[in-house]
Amino acid sequence: MSDVLDLETLDGPGRAALERLILTLADSKRLMGIRYSDWLLGAPSIETGISASSMAQDEWGHARLLYSMLKDLDRDPEAYEHDRASEAYASVSVLDDEMPDWAAVVAAMTLADGALSTVLSSFAEGTFETARSRVPKMLAEEEFHSSLGAAWYRRLAQAEGEARKLLTAATRSMLPALLAWVGADDEAARLMVRAGVIAPAAERLLAYRHAVRDLTALVDVDVDAVEPDPAWDPARGRAPGRPSEESVERARGDRNRALFVE
Amino acid sequence: MTVLPLPVVHRPYGGLPKPATIHMSGGRDVWSSPLESAPQDPVAAVWEALNEVLDPEIPISLTELGLIYGVDVRDGVAEVRLTFTATACPCMEFIREDITDRLESEFWISRVELVEVWDPPWTSDRITPEGRAKLRGLGVSA
Repeated sequence: MSDVLDLETLDGPGRAALERLILTLADSKRLMGIRYSDWLLGAPSIETGISASSMAQDEWGHARLLYSMLKDLDRDPEAYEHDRASEAYASVSVLDDEMPDWAAVVAAMTLADGALSTVLSSFAEGTFETARSRVPKMLAEEEFHSSLGAAWYRRLAQAEGEARKLLTAATRSMLPALLAWVGADDEAARLMVRAGVIAPAAERLLAYRHAVRDLTALVDVDVDAVEPDPAWDPARGRAPGRPSEESVERARGDRNRALFVE
Repeated sequence: MTVLPLPVVHRPYGGLPKPATIHMSGGRDVWSSPLESAPQDPVAAVWEALNEVLDPEIPISLTELGLIYGVDVRDGVAEVRLTFTATACPCMEFIREDITDRLESEFWISRVELVEVWDPPWTSDRITPEGRAKLRGLGVSA
């Protein structure tokens, strides 16, 4: 797409929709980073823990760049990063709580991080110039997450017994909410589609299903047969619910509030 | 938006002293003395100065790493367009300070404006041949 969105032409609902889109991505990146960080010392190997550390770092770098896009809407990113309660977070619901096992982390690494990349790709190809200039770097970094996630997914899918069962369960549990998030088609999402900021819901869903189809087939889950979760909170662009208080305290940096240096 | 009652402290360095490492990074010990007279080509002179500012983690310059995307000098204000190797580069603050300190040591530069850009995304392809040679000498492949 070659047209560039003139933010002056966005009315109130349009600006609110762009703000919501940015927050769904930024908050999800924040939470994704926390979920990786939960496993720095609990991954199956030291090497994988180091990978989790690097991915956590990447996710928070992406979150920082995404929050800073709010400046284009005359919003203060710091207030959004550090001052909101958990019920205000717009992060995708599958990241609300700590992953129960490594198989769930692998499912999140591929399916949830992959969902973020699908929507980010659409954002990068849209009319919002700030996204077009910043998101490609994020996607380049995400290629490493995708490679590691796919390798682990294949490994667990081919394993005997419990590992495959846990991966299958995590896949079945996460997909409906992720499909709903990627394919958001409420009024705010449609406003962004009409402004050319993101692709239509059907295109996003097509891209996401294409990206994960071969992997989920390894655990006998047909992503084309999975229906998106109908539960939806249009105010935040996510399913009802909220991230755990402990997670949001970490996301906001509550323990460091007197020492913020950014 | 729900606003928490907890206050956020917005002060430079959170009211703390500047980071202790502020004067130790960027190859400061090898920086040239500031020019004694204004250069005829200020843009070239800025590039030359930046070529002395080293990455905080590996001893090759920011220009050799390909992190500097452009330079302009107008009315004593040096604008430096730069990127970082990663979105969460832990050395961002060091790099910003090192560039600013090196350039502001020049009397003909009154202010430095850093413009951070991500397009095109940095990859190792941007490392110059000179930078690659130095990295190889350090046992680092690139």
